[in-house]
Amino acid sequence: MMLDPTALDEMADGRGGLRPHWQELLGTLVGLGSEQLIERATMLDQFFAEEGVTALLPGTGPAAWRCDPVPLPIRPAEFAALEAGLAQRATLLDATLADLYGPQTLLEHGIIPPALVYPNHGFLRPCRSLPVAGQMQLYAADLIRGPDGEWRVLADRTNAPHGMAYALENRRALSKTIPEIFRARQLRRMRPFFDTWQADLQRIAPGGTGNPSLVLLSPGPRSAFWFEHVVLARELSCTLVEGGDLTARDGQVFLKTLGGLRKVDVVLRRHDGRSIDPLELDGGDGLATGIPGLLDAARQGALVIANAPGSDIAESPALAAFLPEIAAHLGVGPLTLPSVPTLWLGSPGALAQVMENPAQWLLRPALDGVAPPVPLAELAPALREVTLARAAANPCEYAASLAIAPSVAPCIGPGGFEPRPIVLRLFLVRDGEGWQALQGGLARALAPADALAGRLPRQAVAKDVWIASEDSGDIQGPSAFAVAALPIRRATGELPSRAADNFFWFGRYLERLEGAARLLRTTIMRLERASLSPREMAELRTLAACLKASHLIDEDAARGAGTPAFPRAILGMLRPEARIPTLAAQLGRMVELLRDRLTGEMYGAASHAIRDLQAALRAVPVGRGENPRALAQFSEALGDVLVFAAMVSGLAAENMVQGGGRLFLDLGRRLERARSITSELATLLDEPQAAAQPARLEPSLRLALELRDSVITYRSRYVTVLQAAPVLDLVLAEEGNPRGLAFQLLAMRDSLARLGDTEGSPLLAAVAAILAEARAMSAGTAAAARQSEAATRLPPRLDALHESLGELSDAVSRRWFALLPEARAVGGGLAADAAAVEGAAA
Amino acid sequence: MIYRMRHTTLYAYSRPVDLSSHILHLTPRTLPGQRVLAHALQPQPEPVRQSSGLDHFGNVVTRLFLEGAHDELEVAAEATVEVGFPPPPAAALTPPWEAVVRSAATEWQVAEFTYASAMAPADAAVGAYAGESFTPGRPVLAGLIDLTSRIKRDFKFRSGVTDLATPVSRVLADRVGVCQDFSHLMIAGLRALGLPARYVSGYLRTKPPPGVKRRIGADASHAWVGAWLGAEFGWVDFDPTNDLVVQDEHIVLAWGRDFADVSPMYGIILGGGAHTLKVGVDLEPL
Repeated sequence: MMLDPTALDEMADGRGGLRPHWQELLGTLVGLGSEQLIERATMLDQFFAEEGVTALLPGTGPAAWRCDPVPLPIRPAEFAALEAGLAQRATLLDATLADLYGPQTLLEHGIIPPALVYPNHGFLRPCRSLPVAGQMQLYAADLIRGPDGEWRVLADRTNAPHGMAYALENRRALSKTIPEIFRARQLRRMRPFFDTWQADLQRIAPGGTGNPSLVLLSPGPRSAFWFEHVVLARELSCTLVEGGDLTARDGQVFLKTLGGLRKVDVVLRRHDGRSIDPLELDGGDGLATGIPGLLDAARQGALVIANAPGSDIAESPALAAFLPEIAAHLGVGPLTLPSVPTLWLGSPGALAQVMENPAQWLLRPALDGVAPPVPLAELAPALREVTLARAAANPCEYAASLAIAPSVAPCIGPGGFEPRPIVLRLFLVRDGEGWQALQGGLARALAPADALAGRLPRQAVAKDVWIASEDSGDIQGPSAFAVAALPIRRATGELPSRAADNFFWFGRYLERLEGAARLLRTTIMRLERASLSPREMAELRTLAACLKASHLIDEDAARGAGTPAFPRAILGMLRPEARIPTLAAQLGRMVELLRDRLTGEMYGAASHAIRDLQAALRAVPVGRGENPRALAQFSEALGDVLVFAAMVSGLAAENMVQGGGRLFLDLGRRLERARSITSELATLLDEPQAAAQPARLEPSLRLALELRDSVITYRSRYVTVLQAAPVLDLVLAEEGNPRGLAFQLLAMRDSLARLGDTEGSPLLAAVAAILAEARAMSAGTAAAARQSEAATRLPPRLDALHESLGELSDAVSRRWFALLPEARAVGGGLAADAAAVEGAAA
Repeated sequence: MIYRMRHTTLYAYSRPVDLSSHILHLTPRTLPGQRVLAHALQPQPEPVRQSSGLDHFGNVVTRLFLEGAHDELEVAAEATVEVGFPPPPAAALTPPWEAVVRSAATEWQVAEFTYASAMAPADAAVGAYAGESFTPGRPVLAGLIDLTSRIKRDFKFRSGVTDLATPVSRVLADRVGVCQDFSHLMIAGLRALGLPARYVSGYLRTKPPPGVKRRIGADASHAWVGAWLGAEFGWVDFDPTNDLVVQDEHIVLAWGRDFADVSPMYGIILGGGAHTLKVGVDLEPL
């Protein structure tokens, strides 16, 4: 976007003075000085990076949200006019949707050309039979102010507008990093908007139940707006769900929780309407992410979806050309807040009008409100010709909006203040019969490369929008809405099954990474010695076998233990696709998946620590040449892993409510640790020659203690004599050893009991059987005449225990997560034609 | 002509299906020229929920939801239907096709069928093929009858060569397919010219009238094309697989932009392993 000399200046009045509502603010900013302001801008960037306010998953890119230190103040009177104008537009667009999905009088009377509706991919035919009342509960608009001082709407957002969470976050960030500008100023609060919104979602619930269950349906962390979904779910007290968490049964929709199916009343839709129900709609990845039967339930009034799927047809840029006639037809008065003048090129004469002076126009796809408009003035002549020829060939597919220079406002650039064009997004939510605006907004300061409208860019410089509070009457409270007294709930049953599943696997991955780190550190410690004694060499070979058993290195690498190739194999584990970085990335992903279930403090600390950890692992010099520091640095990074694992335990204990997620996190960890104890011990005791020469088992016994962090305990009890029975007792049967097997099993037993399993349940019985076998192995070795020989016979039994623990994990999944099998489509083929008459698959 | 129709669909799964939902277009439409005297839909096992209504195109749509584990689902649709569509007007009386194109663009309920759809997409080669039948000023019906005959003549009916994913461009290039392919090809061709065309799903009588050769596609679901002749004459159906103007040998189940709008039975299953499908269709005159 090039700076236009005719653009209006939001701050300066054009006569050498400042507009009054900027004076005080600018005074404070100038008082800080531009050096200070540039520093604050950097602090803001850091703030967003640290809070994880980014559209992307941690580790996948550095694109954090950015906000300019200079807010955009709007005069209260001006804002009131915008609010009223937008409320009128919301009413109009809502009525338009109700008509297009209902009687279609707008088409019948020729007010809207059929070419704006039928070829529109957003027009969802199965949604025509949904109850039409309240197509739209939330509306947003992108506005620009022209050189004439008038605000106009550049784009209507009727589908699932984004940006409110970012507006909240901008305010919070600004108040922390540049508190000076907030002093002595009363701003309107944004919170009441969310109260109104929540009350509205409760109001539209079917049956008017006192305490309806609200869910925010999100595509999940892969969505560019996951951060916003997490924040909105929290602000609106909705359960954050993905398609797989919901299931339609007998005409109703339910959330799968640990406590069984819980009925859903209202779906706040942040999911593409086209893929929301694969039974009736065939868009996108509906089969994987949609809920078959959702529309059927909505159709019979068992739940309400807001905004209704298909509401995006009102975002079509070409619709702006017809809004005045639509308003007249539907009995909404003349629009007080007009659109940027727009033509549909399918209208007679419109194409000629654009051809006459192309530079005046922005070309847009007629039906796609998300695609960025193309400023014809900025295209090279040849490209402009091609573009216009394309439009002339299919004029019905294009719209053109007048290229109005947006107003500019001061931003902090590398050299201090600089003016940048502004696009303002404001939000309205239904408030009973009317609409209420968020008392703030999201302004975007356009960089030269930014497109004028379209999707919220992932990397943008945003601005906090200020509306001064004139008196306390401005600060609205939520509308009164009677809610029955809530029953006290303490059960873990509210946790969605998927969240429980994620906690369980977070626990397992965490322990897997921790176990690998311990094993590797123990190994590296030996590699760092200048020369190895025969005993140490034996230990190294045994460790290599353990590394192989844990799938950390392959057979060839394990055979190379003691050769110069071995340290290289160890460092090879740092390749991005190798086990250690993969596990770290998986953990990062789990933290993101669980973001809505963790306290802000816990999320912040954990995601930060994982990023640091990944950075430390990446920093290890794994070049081609030998680097003596590499192993030591790897070992240090692995030490960070151990600290991280301990930190998660601490955070969980201090921040998570006992029960629910924490129990599954713990269950996953204990189970994984028990599995690694059994496989490790089976590998260590696999020393057939030790039956005849007990001394050959010593390195294994020593490692068994070292890897289980039990050397000190053993020494305090048995001094320096190494014998199989006491070692196995400590590792397998001692109930007080937090790194031993019995301890894990008892902890699992406690978690299961707290989740409601009673004695004799299949899960508890499986745990008890494993515990009994562990004790029997320990006792059997102690009773044997030749302990070492008895110990070397244990590996098959340990392998069997390892298997049993795997089965236990599957049983936990079946018992608690009960994830439904993958959905598949059947049918669709024409019988004889598809040769499906007899025995052929469709 | 009165027919008794029976259409059975049987899904057999190698492992039990936990949850399934199906959407059916198996109830004949009531139309001027088609009266539904009796109709029944019998799913087995019994669904926990069955809902039905009219879809956007005015077709009867039924949704079935099954919850208990089941390794088979059979749906039997039976109906008694009286059919007798009026014969088409004399071709010379119908307007030039270009005039039909102009009026279709603004006729709100007809315009919908002038736009490309997923299974009848805009394709220049297909448009050019259809265009040969529409010389300047030719009455629209003459062009439609010519195109219907050309498809019958130029294309080989063979099942098993194409499937639902075969694009019309491929069908045009290979000159082979089944009724569904020919219908989509004709629809795409007509729309490329700006003429409204819709996909009609239904059945063809199993045994032909005495003295007539057995029709193709008679023992199964069938598909053909509805085309619009302008406001005065409205919609007339053409069967390119058999080179027929539809009168009293076809009964209409449903119509839409293409097959995807009117699939006789489409479902989403959870679980179930591999599955087999058996379909039986019978349409006998009473």
